[in-house]
Amino acid sequence: MPARTKVVTVKRGLWENLYLPEIVRGLGVTLKHFFINTLGPKSKRQIVTIDYPDVVRELPERYRGVHRLNTREDGSVRCTACMMCATICPANCIHIEAGERENPASRDIEKFPQVFEIDELVCVVCGLCVEACPCDAIRMDTHVHMPPVEHRKDAVLEKPELMSRGTKSIAVDGGAGPDWRDKYTDLGSLTQIYRPDHIERDRERPARR
Amino acid sequence: MGEIVIWALVKIAILFGFALNLSAVLTWMERRQSAMMQDRMGPVKANISGVTLWGLLHPLADALKLATKEDFVPPKAHKAIFVLAPLFAIAPVVMVFAVIPFAPPVCLKQLTAIAPRCVAPEHMQIARIDIGLLYVFAIASISVYGAALAGWASYNNYSLLGGLRASAQMLSYEITMGMALIGTFLVFGTLEPGELVLRQSTIAKWGIVQQPLGFILFFFAAIAETKRAPFDLPEGESEIVGYFVEYSGARFMTFFLGEFLEIVFVGCMVTTIFLGGWQAPGLAADGLHIFGLDLQLPHIAVVGLGLVTFTIKVFIVCFLQLAIRWSLPRMRYDQLMRLGWKGMLPASIINVIITAAVVLWMSSPVKG
Amino acid sequence: MSEHEPTPTPELVTVKIDGKEHQLPKGKNLLEALLDLGEDISYFCYHPGLSVAASCRQCLVGIRGSMVPSCQTTVSDGLELESQSPTVLDARRQMLEFTLVNHPVDCVICDKAGECTLQRHYMDWDGKPSEIDHEKVEKPKKVDVGREIVLDAERCILCSRCVRFCQEIAESPDLVFEYRGNHETLTTAPDRRLDNSYSLNTVDICPVGALTDKDFRFKIRVWELYATRSVCNGCAAGCDTEVHHRDGRIYRMVPPKDWDMNLNWMCDDGRRTYKSVAAQRLTRPLVDGEPAELDAALAAIKERLEPLLAQDRGAIGVVLGADASNEDNFMAARMAYDFLEAGHVYLADSPDNGLGDDILRRDDPNPNRAGARGCARGDLGSSEDLARDLADHKLEALYVVGDRLDLSDETLGQLRGLKLVVVQASEPSRLTDKAHVVLPAAKWAEVHGTITRTSERAKRDLSASRFGRMRPAVEPPGMARPHWDWLKRVGAVLGVTVEFESAHAVFQEMKKQVPFFAEAQWGGKIPTVMLRFAGRRG
Repeated sequence: MPARTKVVTVKRGLWENLYLPEIVRGLGVTLKHFFINTLGPKSKRQIVTIDYPDVVRELPERYRGVHRLNTREDGSVRCTACMMCATICPANCIHIEAGERENPASRDIEKFPQVFEIDELVCVVCGLCVEACPCDAIRMDTHVHMPPVEHRKDAVLEKPELMSRGTKSIAVDGGAGPDWRDKYTDLGSLTQIYRPDHIERDRERPARR
Repeated sequence: MGEIVIWALVKIAILFGFALNLSAVLTWMERRQSAMMQDRMGPVKANISGVTLWGLLHPLADALKLATKEDFVPPKAHKAIFVLAPLFAIAPVVMVFAVIPFAPPVCLKQLTAIAPRCVAPEHMQIARIDIGLLYVFAIASISVYGAALAGWASYNNYSLLGGLRASAQMLSYEITMGMALIGTFLVFGTLEPGELVLRQSTIAKWGIVQQPLGFILFFFAAIAETKRAPFDLPEGESEIVGYFVEYSGARFMTFFLGEFLEIVFVGCMVTTIFLGGWQAPGLAADGLHIFGLDLQLPHIAVVGLGLVTFTIKVFIVCFLQLAIRWSLPRMRYDQLMRLGWKGMLPASIINVIITAAVVLWMSSPVKG
Repeated sequence: MSEHEPTPTPELVTVKIDGKEHQLPKGKNLLEALLDLGEDISYFCYHPGLSVAASCRQCLVGIRGSMVPSCQTTVSDGLELESQSPTVLDARRQMLEFTLVNHPVDCVICDKAGECTLQRHYMDWDGKPSEIDHEKVEKPKKVDVGREIVLDAERCILCSRCVRFCQEIAESPDLVFEYRGNHETLTTAPDRRLDNSYSLNTVDICPVGALTDKDFRFKIRVWELYATRSVCNGCAAGCDTEVHHRDGRIYRMVPPKDWDMNLNWMCDDGRRTYKSVAAQRLTRPLVDGEPAELDAALAAIKERLEPLLAQDRGAIGVVLGADASNEDNFMAARMAYDFLEAGHVYLADSPDNGLGDDILRRDDPNPNRAGARGCARGDLGSSEDLARDLADHKLEALYVVGDRLDLSDETLGQLRGLKLVVVQASEPSRLTDKAHVVLPAAKWAEVHGTITRTSERAKRDLSASRFGRMRPAVEPPGMARPHWDWLKRVGAVLGVTVEFESAHAVFQEMKKQVPFFAEAQWGGKIPTVMLRFAGRRG
């Protein structure tokens, strides 16, 4: 198919070619904004920027911030190094090295991430890792924007830092059992949204078994 | 003799206190005004223990920052010229202020009296020379050296190109600027700024009324001379780096200050030539006579009012310059040249011819 | 192995499948026949290399109103069956649900995930949440059942493939089921461990992740791997293999999934040969023990060899390598006979180790002894001959290709007296310590090339498959290059212009010149492919 071209002719008569009237018109637009914003009544002022960081815009509930790693009820990391997040990551920013627990109790999950690193500079903040995680281990609901760093390597978050924002998951360790349908009739209560002030509350929450 | 020196020092102090402070305020105003025009907040952060004064402390912070920054000289730069270029840029601007009349003539012996007629007036300009405006043109054209030498001495292709752009632009628009004023000279018959102001005693006699085309041409040519948007091709900081890209710290501050002093100077020139200088409507030597009001004022108050009038007018012209900068997009270089040589220069010549014809007709014996 | 005997053309009979008539060979396994027709039938316990158990009941077809496992049925005349009718599909789905009753569904930590048959069937056929409302039976997890293998009995779906493999192929009945019904559990036979030399094949054929490879366990997820077809260089058998690697590191070697000459099996030792590729390697040329640039090393050879070439060429010895490819040995032989006109040509090989068996493994641990012999014109001296010639001062210079030359300390000491010893080797050894010039060589997993196999089956099969084809999975480390490339470069500095662009060019020249390789095939292009995109596995 040949490229379709559309010729648009801008009509410029003497009036426009004189420049001056158009300049005055343009000045009128900008000066209108100027005078409204300086002398106009407060209700009509149109300033859209805010005095960041003294004033912080409220982040939307589903804002995707810095990653965190959730913990199990015993405080260990929920992640099982299944690599789902690393596989789906379109930016290849997640690096996981799996390890095997030395002496697991019989029902413990043997596999865990020895190394879990996310390069937040490479991350494109798409949230696919959270979608892909089958264990509710990785989340981006910290409401924390990645702080600026001096060296690139400082932007690589390692396991302890990722876990420092972690909370207990709303999921039940080992699964809820075969009668989960009877236990959780209201699935809506399981999809509550995380807020930073929930961290403390979640730490206090008794284990649900 | 001693009196002359004291008068000179006083006038220098007043004028430069005014010009330097205004240019400092303009650096803040430029940012706050543009912010308000674009629905932003602008700089409001600088504070001394919480007092921000709407951001007015920013010029101070900027000066401190620039003064303490590393003074970088490119290794292959021509050291002497690199160091001298900022001075070449700022010195002419400082010098041309000498001829600006910033207040009515002062009669020292009648300060507190109502003085309709002044005895032995002391003219409020640093240098009262008959060819004052020619002096301005002569000195102002030197400032192109600052830009050209800075660009050349930096040993940077971008700087050099910026310097070349600056030279061509300033030379082109200087012609228009001169031609635009010839009409004014013809009308007022003087080249002495103080005299020029005295002859604009009423609004009908103001330059802008008698020479509207001359005013527009001069104003825009002057903006082009100050190298500001929409004519900021020598130093388009956001896209095309310019002649002082290699400058930093105090040297950069010198260029920066020079630019804002130029704004103030354009304001002073436009005020003096076209807006009646310190003349205010109804302000006469013995008091205010406006809207039926007949207020007798002592001489010192009249001088003060003249000074205030002058300041307000300069400030408005500066405001207009900033507003133009933040409203119009930058021209392309070919458009700039076409406008200068094919638009404004012919227009200014036509203005001269028409003015000359009218002046000739007005003064001809046929009419008289 | 009877499957590979030439069979007489079978009689075709008419079989009606879902109302459509097909001509199928009489007496053929019905499941195989249906799969050949492209029917989508799920199965767990059936394996083409093993006997039929029909324990999983997953391959059900409807014959005369009843559900029959197709793997246990043969094609007969006038057979009418349903393969894709709703009833049959329902029956298969229900069988799948039974299979999943005690499976823990811990795919997230299971190494089989991505190539798991159960996972694939669940995704293809079922995809529903579990309907089972009682606790799963807990069975032993992480049981150390053998040298190479860990068992997770919970994941086991009791298909008995591994049990049958141990009995029928490895002929070592190491695995049995204990208990019955819901509690049936895979375990080792009394007083036995899963330690036979083919034990890792049970990991491959396990349709779930019950048996996992200790070496591969938790290293990487399978879909992240890239597969390159190559040939195992562990012994003279030269089994076809898939090298699984990523980012320049090899993770495992498995037999290719398609039905090929080594019957989908590989021995445990062969699978571990990948480790030597990442072992300590020579990465730079050495001149008198010091690292040198490529040009400096070649110049040193030229400087020291040219005086000898002008004098008695009979005092030059060349050693072919039983671990080098056909192309490498061909180049070495050409250099020895045609250019250097060397007086002595030897073969460096490792002695037979007696580990061979009737299944795959050979006694000969050298991957290409036959190929090296095929390149030779006349008899090749052994390493004992080399030691004797050295003791008799018959040699002035020695050019060694490969890592297999193993000399006694005394003989190594005598090497010092020679004017020039050049060794092309991949790993540092006592020999490279003594050599004047060492050139770093690439290993089998890093090069293109062919080797000559001597497996029993190969002798019987098409001559084309007597030659195995190696393809590069990883980059050679540092400045290491293929042997033939070094020989080409050494030839070039000595004034022989042999312009071969690639191993393939060498192969074609070799095929033209050496009758032994007249029937050799280079083999088609099999691109390296990421397992994620390699189609269905499991």
